Amino acid sequence: MQEKTNEMIKIFIDKEPVDAEEGTTVLKAAERAGIHIPHLCYHPAFPPEGSCRMCLVEIEGFPKLELACSTVVKEEMKISTKSERVVEARKAVLEFLLAEHPLDCPICDKAGDCKLQDYYDEYGLFESQFKEAKEKREKKLKIGKSLILDQERCILCTRCVRFLKEVTKTQDLGVFHRGVHSSVNIYEGASVENNYSGNLAEICPVGAITDEDFRFKTRSWFLKEGESICPLCSRGCNILIEYHPGFSRFELPKRVYRIKARENPEVNGFWICDRGRYGYSYLDERRADQIIMNKKEGENELTCENISRHLGEKIKNLSSARKTSGIALILHTWLSNEELFLLHEIFKNDLKVEKIFFADLPDGEADGFLLTSEPSPNRRGAQEIGFDIKTVDLGALADGTDFLLAFGPFLSGLFSSKDLRGALDKIKTKVLFSSNSNELNSLFDVVIPVALIAEKEGSLTNVEGIVQGFQPVLEPPGESLPEWKVLSDLGKELGMDSKFYSEFTSPEAILSEMGKKIPFFKKKND
Amino acid sequence: MSPEFSEKTKKKIEEIVARYPQKEAAILPILHITQQEFGSISAEEEKLVARILGIKPISVRELVTFYTMFPKESLGKYHIQVCSNLSCSLLGAGNFVDYLVEKLGIKPGETTPDKKFTLSTVECLGACERAPCMMINFNYYGEMDPKKVDEILDGLK
Amino acid sequence: MKEKVLTEHFGLENLYKIDVYQKQGGYRATEKALKKMKPEEILEEVKKANLRGRGGAGFPAGVKWSFVPDTDKPKYLCVNADEGEPGTFKDRYIMSHNPHMLIEGIIITSFCVGISVAFIYIRGEYEAIALRLEQAISEAYEKGFLGKNILESGFDLDVFVHRGAGAYICGEETALLESLEGKRGNPRLKPPFPASVGLFQCPTVINNVETISNISHIILNGAEWFIKQGLPKDGGTRIFGVSGMVKNPGIYELPLGTSLKDIIFKHAGGMKEGKKLKAVIPGGMSAPILTADEINIKMDFDSLVEANSMLGSAGIIVIDDKTSILDVLKVVTKFYSHESCGQCTPCRIGNSWINKIVKRIAEGKGKKEDIDSILRLASNIEGNTLCPLGDAAAMPILSITKKFRKELESHL
Ligand SMILES: Cc1cc2nc3c(=O)[nH]c(=O)nc-3n(C[C@H](O)[C@H](O)[C@H](O)COP(=O)(O)O)c2cc1C
Ligand code: SF4
Ligand code: SF4
Ligand code: SF4
Ligand code: FES
Ligand code: FES
Repeated sequence: MQEKTNEMIKIFIDKEPVDAEEGTTVLKAAERAGIHIPHLCYHPAFPPEGSCRMCLVEIEGFPKLELACSTVVKEEMKISTKSERVVEARKAVLEFLLAEHPLDCPICDKAGDCKLQDYYDEYGLFESQFKEAKEKREKKLKIGKSLILDQERCILCTRCVRFLKEVTKTQDLGVFHRGVHSSVNIYEGASVENNYSGNLAEICPVGAITDEDFRFKTRSWFLKEGESICPLCSRGCNILIEYHPGFSRFELPKRVYRIKARENPEVNGFWICDRGRYGYSYLDERRADQIIMNKKEGENELTCENISRHLGEKIKNLSSARKTSGIALILHTWLSNEELFLLHEIFKNDLKVEKIFFADLPDGEADGFLLTSEPSPNRRGAQEIGFDIKTVDLGALADGTDFLLAFGPFLSGLFSSKDLRGALDKIKTKVLFSSNSNELNSLFDVVIPVALIAEKEGSLTNVEGIVQGFQPVLEPPGESLPEWKVLSDLGKELGMDSKFYSEFTSPEAILSEMGKKIPFFKKKND
Repeated sequence: MSPEFSEKTKKKIEEIVARYPQKEAAILPILHITQQEFGSISAEEEKLVARILGIKPISVRELVTFYTMFPKESLGKYHIQVCSNLSCSLLGAGNFVDYLVEKLGIKPGETTPDKKFTLSTVECLGACERAPCMMINFNYYGEMDPKKVDEILDGLK
Repeated sequence: MKEKVLTEHFGLENLYKIDVYQKQGGYRATEKALKKMKPEEILEEVKKANLRGRGGAGFPAGVKWSFVPDTDKPKYLCVNADEGEPGTFKDRYIMSHNPHMLIEGIIITSFCVGISVAFIYIRGEYEAIALRLEQAISEAYEKGFLGKNILESGFDLDVFVHRGAGAYICGEETALLESLEGKRGNPRLKPPFPASVGLFQCPTVINNVETISNISHIILNGAEWFIKQGLPKDGGTRIFGVSGMVKNPGIYELPLGTSLKDIIFKHAGGMKEGKKLKAVIPGGMSAPILTADEINIKMDFDSLVEANSMLGSAGIIVIDDKTSILDVLKVVTKFYSHESCGQCTPCRIGNSWINKIVKRIAEGKGKKEDIDSILRLASNIEGNTLCPLGDAAAMPILSITKKFRKELESHL
């Protein structure tokens, strides 16, 4: 938590005393007190613009209505947010906006989470008094890879223009003409091309900028949302996953329809990058949901439930020297802090395994803003836990190895199948934990389906060392289960310090144990 | 061919830019020069000005479309701007415009086919005591009536 | 004794040349101010003179200057020569007849406030006047009134002319600043006020041409004399611009407090042949209209406020009985709709909406409820906009519609 340096002062909102931070605005102070003041042009990422005039409030001693978004609170200030004058003014602003606004709601993608629609409802304005001809404008202007601008729906809040000026500094959109002819536009031949374009559809308070990735695929009121963390790079942006809870009557092609940014001033502000926003197909495509057995394993049928016992037995059967040199691990950094910790405890500390490799996607290029060069979310966590991030060396991997425990689907992208097969053929027993199916499935004896970050609980350490917890948003598909469960059972199974492992009934418990062992993971506010 | 400023104009622009602590502040003066040299500010001229100031063409477009003095397409040799605001209207600006429409055979906003005249109606020109008044290019003419305007227009080559 | 202050020498041939100007006493005020006065003394004198802004709002100039904080940042003066308010043309007269009087005012103001760069923001259409100003400025440089170490006082000042490009809103002081910075003329949210955060984020004084042109006279003749030319709370004269249906349209420099009736009927020669007075707009188009029987009124800031109108830019537009008030309303609403910057909702959409209604009425398609709609929409604009243009539009629309409701209804 950021330290509060500002003094608190007392103000009155709708006659109720409210504590407000000195120097804050009426709008923020009200929000803090749970009072919503309608606003359209104001966005917390930018200085107040003051142009929509939606946030007018009455302040004792001021002859005119004042803007909540820009007026700074003063000791003893008396503000009414619901007086008749205020309500009339808001209605007036809405009436103006409605006058030049198309009545598109039934066919508008934003319907359901449109601020304008919300406010119309709230103030009971359904029919326009406006009987004149509306201004004609561009209804379907393609302004970027997947963005469409409807100038008739635009209320000229300029959030989009300011975003592109102040955040991406690319100035792809501008306001052309003036007065009632003002319109947001791109320059001919140019378009919004930056890795943050998707934020525009999100900050547009109305349905003027919509995202083709989402457009018409579903309606927003069918969707549920859950908080998660983007795993597509080591920034660890906070996100909302919007998914279809599904109907009992028919199958949906996919669960996840949209990723949105979730505010976190310390990590990603209000934004996420386009890779994180649009790269969500892995959540539904080619998901592993059943255990795969390519080689008969003794008498018993293997299941996800008994897999740890089975692995435990296999390992126990190895001589202690073979444990150290005969076991190899391939890990990756989509694994949570807790999972990596368990792996470190079991294999590195207890079994003294030497051959530990990491198979992540190859590094990309950072974009200078949020996107980092590391395309996985927890490399820093692995390092803090004590792993040396060695990339896979197939020769060293196979050399003298009897037993391979591999995690993740990424190995397949790193080597040709011929080389992979060549190396893996030399290893007697090989087990893979993977969330998504690919050619690796046929190369291992057993493939255990596992949950993704969106489907389990745990924590990640981002590139700057910020540890962020996450909770499951989606159900893990089929039989798949989180790795931390298998691993803590495995720990128990190996009986090395069964008391230690038996306490690990949740990632939370693991993390708190980690804090005791590794100062880095000690909770900051403990 | 994309437009280019003469060396002399470039010098002049440098001088203007030096007046301001921020380069972009020179944009209106530069646009006036551009308008004067090229007769209009289309995309090509926008890009030229953007290049000189190190800004994006879209920023130039935002300005050019805000102010009324930078037409996108070239106008006639003589731009007749008739004031249609109150003092001039009171004294017959409406009839005066009708007279010009008939005489030139074009409506406000249009240019004669020979590209000699463009006719516009504009807001108050700040010469209300001389109503009805008009501007041809940057010259003011007041107390207009058909006879006077005939003389003026006939005198223009 | 009341006399002409600003326009006294306008009849002199070539007054715009520095030699002629100096012959009739020009630049003596500059010498006095820079050589014999301290900045604080100048400020005191200007404050005492009760010189109220001539651009529209009537804010006391000395008080405005005193808001400029003492900082190390550069400070700027912007002279507002945008003169876009319909019915206003006085600044054009000052700048074309006597540019050096303005330059003197700029020098003294800048010396007083500690400014070293001044811009004259002049409307784009005044190209010829901009050239004249530039010539006058270069003469002043040559004679050592501008540039480095002016009159050996150690004070430096540069003055530049900056032309607008066709946008009435750029006369609004914060839009002017945006425009000068090379942006769209979108007014800024206040606070902060330009005196503390103005041009290029630096403290800035913005004054009208006529306001600044009074400064040299105050310095030469003193605050007491200045007040005697006008009213105690409203010092000096005012240049009234009279246009419309009068015999002698033009500028008339008269003491503040002169009656409107006298201005129209004595000074401007009364109505044109065969015309009768119907209404007067007393202070530029934004000022609420007065009917023929409301013109027995003193023309000063406070008296007009009392009459629910305003002195504004002192541009008096005289409307005769043959003029249809619907035509007047059409011109007024078209103007504000055309000149709205478009930034804020009520002004952007409201003014265009009202104009659409008025145009429809003029096409003979008026409806019973239209008049009430106009009143409702205009009052929804009033007080709810980002900059004063909203009010400037709503006030005349409301006053015209209310005072001439019957006549408007006859068109429905
Ligand atoms: C819409 C609008 C247009 C304005 N136009 C002008 C103008 O053309 N000239 C001017 O001096 N002031 C104009 N003003 C007033 C200025 O904002 C400002 O008050 C003035 O320049 C201050 O100078 P003063 O105190 O010397 O009058 C305008 C104000 C508004 C709201
Ligand atoms: S497109 Fe959306 S965000 Fe941009 S100005 Fe219009 S309403 Fe605002
Ligand atoms: S910057 Fe990284 S974490 Fe953030 S959204 Fe993009 S890929 Fe995801
Ligand atoms: S009131 Fe009109 S001119 Fe002023 S900011 Fe709003 S839209 Fe622009
Ligand atoms: S939110 Fe305050 S004016 Fe738009
Ligand atoms: S009204 Fe025509 S110049 Fe002012």
